[in-house]
Amino acid sequence: MKPYFETMDRFGKSLKPGRVKRAAAGAEALRAVEADIAAAARAVEEAGFPAEKINQRGWMTVYQRLEYLLDPGTWRPLRTLYNPAENEEGVTNVVDGLGKIEGRWAVVIGFDNKVMAGAWLPGQSENILRATDLARRLNVPLVWLVHCSGAKLPEQEQFYANRRGAGTPFFRHAELEQAGIPVLAGIYGTNPAGGGYQSVSPTILLAHKDANMAVGGVGIVSGMAPKGGFDAAMVEELIAKTRAFTARPPGDVATHHDATGFFTRVYDEETGVLDGLKEYMRAIPAYGPEFFRAAEPKDPAFPVDDLYHLLPANQKEVYDFDEVLARLVDGSERLEFRPDYGPEVFTGVCKVDGRLVGCIGNRQGYLGKGYPDYGDYPGMGGKLYRQGLVKMNEFVTLCGRDRLPVVWFQDTSGIDVGERAEKAEVLGLGQSLIYSIQQTGVPMMLVVLRKGTAAAHYVMGGPTANRHNAFTLGTPATEIEVMHGETAAVATYARRAAKEHAAGRPLDPVIERMNALVDRYHETSRPAYCARHGFVDEVVALTDLRRYLQAFTGAAYQNPVSICPRHHMLLPRVIRG
Amino acid sequence: MAEDVVAPLAGKVLSIAVAVGDAVEEDDEVLVLEAMKMETVVYAPSDGTVTALRVAVGDQVEEDDPLVTIGE
Repeated sequence: MKPYFETMDRFGKSLKPGRVKRAAAGAEALRAVEADIAAAARAVEEAGFPAEKINQRGWMTVYQRLEYLLDPGTWRPLRTLYNPAENEEGVTNVVDGLGKIEGRWAVVIGFDNKVMAGAWLPGQSENILRATDLARRLNVPLVWLVHCSGAKLPEQEQFYANRRGAGTPFFRHAELEQAGIPVLAGIYGTNPAGGGYQSVSPTILLAHKDANMAVGGVGIVSGMAPKGGFDAAMVEELIAKTRAFTARPPGDVATHHDATGFFTRVYDEETGVLDGLKEYMRAIPAYGPEFFRAAEPKDPAFPVDDLYHLLPANQKEVYDFDEVLARLVDGSERLEFRPDYGPEVFTGVCKVDGRLVGCIGNRQGYLGKGYPDYGDYPGMGGKLYRQGLVKMNEFVTLCGRDRLPVVWFQDTSGIDVGERAEKAEVLGLGQSLIYSIQQTGVPMMLVVLRKGTAAAHYVMGGPTANRHNAFTLGTPATEIEVMHGETAAVATYARRAAKEHAAGRPLDPVIERMNALVDRYHETSRPAYCARHGFVDEVVALTDLRRYLQAFTGAAYQNPVSICPRHHMLLPRVIRG
Repeated sequence: MAEDVVAPLAGKVLSIAVAVGDAVEEDDEVLVLEAMKMETVVYAPSDGTVTALRVAVGDQVEEDDPLVTIGE
């Protein structure tokens, strides 16, 4: 297969000084958003007690544990800003992402023991479920750093119960285990109630000597005689019982290592637990890079910093998607699928660290005379037409057949509308693309380069593809909304404006509402909001995009659930003819 | 030889990046058209000197209308 994979087609061109100069303000705007996101991420990392105070208690913080555990330079955090319930703590209280341990990729997640000793908070269950889903999509181990004091009791109604509530991850752990995916846990501190199940539900339990896990903790044991209220005498009795129990919380290592044997191992040092996790990671099934590399890894042929001058901060400005892609894939090389059909999307095979991936992205700008072929109006990239939808259907189907992971790049204003477009079957072809994705069974990731709008955000490998989308990244230019705010204001208030006008009433109140809606759309569609509410799993600096592509492809090829030998692949033959 | 840079599609001239007498290289930005809610940059098709501006900012142009003339 050398003619296909070792020598793909070079694409892209060097930036001209004029372009750099022209895009200087845009580049500055993108970097300013990145700086804001980085500041918000620092605030998340500094949530709760300062690290020094945690260290004085004899504990490492979750971030210190991660630093010790992970191979240097491999951490790709996800959901850093995720806080959908807008918790006052500023976090969901778990830290997670993809990282390498002893050279092997894993999904790693830990409770932030600086914040209420790792309590359950609103939004946390969904965060954890995204991490368990990620392990399932990529077929890589889930590694827990458990240090969980249980529910934040005054807010339990927001997360304890429900279909995707705080207990659901324990079922997911069982699902992962049944799928052959191990869940490893390093266990620290006091883990009562929910913390007990967080500790006991994984596959391998490695405990620190001071760790405990139990169905109920000291507080629950002490207060188990409800009488409809409290008085001073009862509280004094509680205090006495609590003091008696604090000497030895239930479920310590004497119980759960020496007696039950639930703790696989116990370590005297905090770092010992992490060394134990490393030892178990060395024992997991993982293919070496030689197994699935189609060619030697190469850097892109152009500097990654070019991206700041290629991706416009201005949402209306047209740009060249192919030039963006050329800064992200090995050697700026590709095999393009059907270049003469469906010009509004790029589809093709590229390499990341020498491993094959299918790439799909919206092209921008005027699509040329006669396109779309069913309309008498000009076609603009970003929008999807019949041919583009057909092409993506074909491409993902072939990626599924050839077992190629898929990377989607969205910058889309939606699918073409109107009677001619309906007759051209665009509605049906959008759902066909969903069907095509759903039958591939290959992991996918998405980068929302700029706009993710309307149903196109769903059908182009969006996070809504729950069984396939491993994670979704945003950029400093990301904007996700059902439609642009001004379009929404027109759709919402046009009739009202006409009525007010006909009645001779002033239009100012309607105009005020229209502008308020535009402002609200702006506020709720931009990168930080998208990250807080989980529309994207992380907003990533443009210079970090390739690192996430490397993590995705590396993890997807680490232990794939099915394989297509390179010499049996159909897609490269279809492309080259 | 003079060459007209023409509008690739109907739209409104949003900005003009060149003036008469400017030297341009192939792929240099000439002007920006606003059409279909997007801003489309029109680039110089070849190296040369701008000899005439055929439109002004705010003008509505039709497809294939001349925008700028570039000479040697």
